[in-house]
Amino acid sequence: MRVILESKVRKKPTIPIEAEEIIPRNFLKGTDLVVYEGNKERTLSELFWIFVEGTAVSPENIEVVLKGDTSRIKRVGEYMDTGSILISGDIGMHCGNFMSGGTIEILGNADAWLGREMRGGTILCRGNAGHYCATGYRGEKKGMQGGRVEVFGNTGDFCAEYLAGGEVHIHGSTGDFPGVEMRGGHLVIEGDVLRPCANMKDGICVILGRVHEMIPTFEKTDRRVLPEWKITADVYKGDVANRGKGTLMIKILESVAGNRLEEIS
Amino acid sequence: MIVNDVVCPFCGCLCDDLELEVEADRVVRVQNGCSLAEATFMNDTRLPAPIRRTTTGWKEISYDEAIKETADILKDADRPLLYGWSSTHGEAQSVGVHIAERIGAVIDNTSTVCHGPSILAIQEVGHPGCTLGQVKNRADVIIYWGCNPIEAHPRHMSRYTTFATGFFVPDAQRERTVIVVDTRMNDSGGIADEFVRIEPGGDYAVLSALRAIVRGKESVIPKKVAGIAREQLIRVAEICKNAKFGAIFFGLGLTMSRGKYKNVRNAIELTDELNRHTKFVISPMRGHGNVYGSNEVFTWMTGYPFAVDFARGIAFYNPGETTAVDILRRGECDAALIVASDPGANFPRTAAAHLSKIPTVLVDPHVNATTALSRIHIPCTAAAIDAAGTAYRMDGVPIRLKKVIERGYPDDAALLKKIYDRLNGGMGP
Amino acid sequence: MTELLVKNACVIDPIRGINGDIMDIAVRDGRIVESISDKAEVIDAKRCLTLPGGIDSHTHVCGTKVNFGRYMSPEDMRAGRTRRHGKMHVTSGYYVPTTFGNSYRYSAMGYTTLLEGAMAPLEARHTHEEFTATPHQDMLANTLFDGNWAVMDAVREKNIQKAAAIVGWTLNAVKGYAIKLTNPGGTEAWGWGDDITSIQEMVPHFGVTPAEIITTLVKANELLRLPHSVHLHCNNLGKPGNYQTTLDTFELIPDLNPDRQTLYATHVQFHAYGGGTWRNICSKAEDITRSVNSKPQIVMDMGQIMFCRTMTMTADGPMEFNLHCLHHNKWSNHDVELETGSGIIPVTYSKKSAVNCIMWAIGLELALLTKNPWQCLLETDNPNGAPFVKYPEVIGLLMSKRYRDEECATLHADTERRTSLCALEREMDWHDIAVMTRAGQAKALGIISQGKGHLGIGAEADIAIYPIRTDSVDPAREYRKVVEGFQKTRYTIKRGRVVSRDGEIIVDGANATFWANARIPEDLRVDNDPEFIRRFQEFYTVRMSNYPVQDLYLPRGRQVDTEAFT
Repeated sequence: MRVILESKVRKKPTIPIEAEEIIPRNFLKGTDLVVYEGNKERTLSELFWIFVEGTAVSPENIEVVLKGDTSRIKRVGEYMDTGSILISGDIGMHCGNFMSGGTIEILGNADAWLGREMRGGTILCRGNAGHYCATGYRGEKKGMQGGRVEVFGNTGDFCAEYLAGGEVHIHGSTGDFPGVEMRGGHLVIEGDVLRPCANMKDGICVILGRVHEMIPTFEKTDRRVLPEWKITADVYKGDVANRGKGTLMIKILESVAGNRLEEIS
Repeated sequence: MIVNDVVCPFCGCLCDDLELEVEADRVVRVQNGCSLAEATFMNDTRLPAPIRRTTTGWKEISYDEAIKETADILKDADRPLLYGWSSTHGEAQSVGVHIAERIGAVIDNTSTVCHGPSILAIQEVGHPGCTLGQVKNRADVIIYWGCNPIEAHPRHMSRYTTFATGFFVPDAQRERTVIVVDTRMNDSGGIADEFVRIEPGGDYAVLSALRAIVRGKESVIPKKVAGIAREQLIRVAEICKNAKFGAIFFGLGLTMSRGKYKNVRNAIELTDELNRHTKFVISPMRGHGNVYGSNEVFTWMTGYPFAVDFARGIAFYNPGETTAVDILRRGECDAALIVASDPGANFPRTAAAHLSKIPTVLVDPHVNATTALSRIHIPCTAAAIDAAGTAYRMDGVPIRLKKVIERGYPDDAALLKKIYDRLNGGMGP
Repeated sequence: MTELLVKNACVIDPIRGINGDIMDIAVRDGRIVESISDKAEVIDAKRCLTLPGGIDSHTHVCGTKVNFGRYMSPEDMRAGRTRRHGKMHVTSGYYVPTTFGNSYRYSAMGYTTLLEGAMAPLEARHTHEEFTATPHQDMLANTLFDGNWAVMDAVREKNIQKAAAIVGWTLNAVKGYAIKLTNPGGTEAWGWGDDITSIQEMVPHFGVTPAEIITTLVKANELLRLPHSVHLHCNNLGKPGNYQTTLDTFELIPDLNPDRQTLYATHVQFHAYGGGTWRNICSKAEDITRSVNSKPQIVMDMGQIMFCRTMTMTADGPMEFNLHCLHHNKWSNHDVELETGSGIIPVTYSKKSAVNCIMWAIGLELALLTKNPWQCLLETDNPNGAPFVKYPEVIGLLMSKRYRDEECATLHADTERRTSLCALEREMDWHDIAVMTRAGQAKALGIISQGKGHLGIGAEADIAIYPIRTDSVDPAREYRKVVEGFQKTRYTIKRGRVVSRDGEIIVDGANATFWANARIPEDLRVDNDPEFIRRFQEFYTVRMSNYPVQDLYLPRGRQVDTEAFT
């Protein structure tokens, strides 16, 4: 079954919408869902044109497609456990919150907190993601615990903060402090980074691009070949300031023979 | 008439030993206070009456009209914002929370542009601190990091640290070692025993390095970190480890330079590490006189110290999303009530500008930059001058602000209560 | 004039010796009276269990360190959120709820009076502000004196009168109710990052021992004729082998008061450990209760832990730091100048941990091995052992051996040989529970004369009607019904008004705060003593005139006067 939701033009387009009920499973019961616009409760049909194609008896066969201006719609896919969501444009904050299964694909950009507290499932973001991609909630000891987040563009700051499990793969570059407070999981960044893996406790991070401002408390242990990435990397253990036992692997740049350009400024 | 033991509401020091001379409805002399205190009590020019913006200019209106129109503006708003709160007393702050809860608003205070990052850090790693008297009576090492107390908290050093006589530190100036860490020399650095010049944005790296050194892992540290030689870092770490009682005070240099809450977190974790060797505490230098009070009141009422969003009926907290600056920058709110603060002056331009595009009401005794962005400005009492109430010092000690003169203005708590009653159909708290 | 009639109540009122009579309770203007008119509103209790309102004699719900606990735990705040509806404000928090959260949840359980476990005098104003925001329970504040400089000086000078005068002045100034000592001497040592490990060890600089602080203040307490006794959190909390410290402390206490205990020892579970390391820790509940059973001058409370995540918060700064080093959770610390300290850190008690299982067993053993239920009260040191919403489960465990056995079967294998819980057959009955959750507290706190803890003529009409038919429930077998029954009253009545009905709050609160005012002869008062004044002004960072809590912070203050030194 495919449910297409096309956003309607709104009188106050900058008031955020919270749409945590938009998950595939909920459409088994119909399309009579509740969404919030600011502090006002609205029905799904007040804010979206709704088209339903086909039927489904179980939720894993439901695909939800969002069209139109969806850049201010928050919490889509929250607690999603199965099925798929395709967002044709940009998506608002907290997309895929607490996700445990299924797939979300975003063709445009994602706002902050993409895949927050994820436990399973897959999120693909073709564009850029905002700050706090694949992270946790304030005060919790663990962030993302499982599943896979893949961003084809760049991310903002604090990507994969408190990562505890699962995989995060950023094709582009990140902002400041990617992988900060990591304690597990697998983080790969193909582009450039600023101050990676600060205060890391555990987990593995691989960086293929440039590192700006390496944290001064990482200890170089060796140099090794990573066949899955076809690179040679310097391997660091840290963050020593935090009694960390994490692994940070940074691709050696061929342009500068021998030395890495990662000195502290 | 002389009034003793008066509390100054201006900054987080909340000095309570001022002596004021009062004549009729004015303060004519301030003793014991710093220049900021004098300005607070003596340059107290008020807006005489509520004003409303019209197409032909400002028009004076009655308090009743102002209250009625404010309630109308807030009542049906889809995403109202209640911001400020830091310069008024707890009694008014409590009413603010009740209003926000009633109408599904976002309520935020000035932590958002000041020590919000400190709060985020505390929420990650806790806060090993104490009251200021512990520092005064025991500390032999004082570190000021990223702040300039001589300018922003002028009596901090004489009342609580460097120059204050303490029970266990009777010869304060000789017995205390003061370290100042900043990106450039300033007045506070000028009186320090050790000045550490740090490259802008380098605080995080330096704090990580210090933590490693305190752990005994100095071999990992490169020769220079953020422009500071390893030798100096080792020396500073030694001073800290050998202290009998060390106290770190930090300000916007940490909270507002890149990394923000991560800088503060790292400083707290350094303090934790030092506690394995000796006694160490860390404290934020809160700027506004009662911003900590707004944190306390918001917390015991809603669970969260700032940036509380009631749009969904429950309290939701997410700095970066529910903070006033972010909401304004994104043009998300459609009505605003600003109380006891000046976002017009303190917020980034794009955020402040949004206030002029929506109906904004300002409740504050003085004309300020926010007045120009508002539709209505309602003057009220100024806490600690013509209104008594509770304020919380930067270390959490609650002090009662005194009312020293009467100027005929309504108390802001009473005023807000009237707005609340209109919004609540007159049904009590 | 408002009148209310509760009819067909199955009343258990230990203070008045009533144990299961079906009777009517007449209320007028907030007090229980002989009879009322037929215009009274009638509640039919339908023979359900009706008790005086619950009294919690040691709970951390209001004040600086509690708010610290909230502030630093947004992840807990989001766990227990409810929305505003009717008369109920928004609430947040599970193990450290907001003040309205605390008040509503306690009210749903039938509690009408709470003693805040620890208030630092310098920060009392904060506690009182939060008391007003806990509107459905009358409040009392334990006032901390464990690290008080002026008191320690008086102790060193062996001047009991001076110590009493300082305490009296302070309680009056900050509207406190009782003397609280938390790790006496230890909190001052913690000002330098140290701790005290024996009650005979000298506090650095002050030249006094915890034993001296305790004995002096116990005598001072009686000199002041305070309604409650000294309330003590013993030294060495949480350390394997600490039971000896506890026994030695109990040995210090004479029997000085015919109406109540001379020492209230709080959360004794945390102080009843044998062994010497975490590996060989075991229960010494038998030794502790043997001592208490022979000493009517001591009353204790359990300090029961339950298996869950919760927040520890006490004035015992050094203990909290040790927990931080052990578990690496986020840690806050707040030492208060010239007075005391505090630490806050989250913990998780787990069945996988042998130590935690032993702790859980010890709390229950203390209750089951104490012969007289008036001497061992039901508490979890909320939230340190468990959030108070778990009290019904504790009741269920005390009343049902079967429940205990089922739990024991899921514990760590070591528990059985290091504790004696599994062998204990005793099952508390309804009367015992009524004693342990209200009558015993009222007696221990000295508030029977204030009309609390019983349903006699003249008492305050604080009444809890539970959906439990004692004639048709067998608590030994049907413990689930017991637990559910105590979770939510059908009605909670406070001073004659129904405040909670089936868990729903239906009116705005108007609570009172009780505080002790010991009237001290003019020549002994410390605020006339120039040396006391000089030291105050020199070493505190607030002026002495700004220190006292103004009357308006207690909108309905209930001053309890005593004639000291008579």
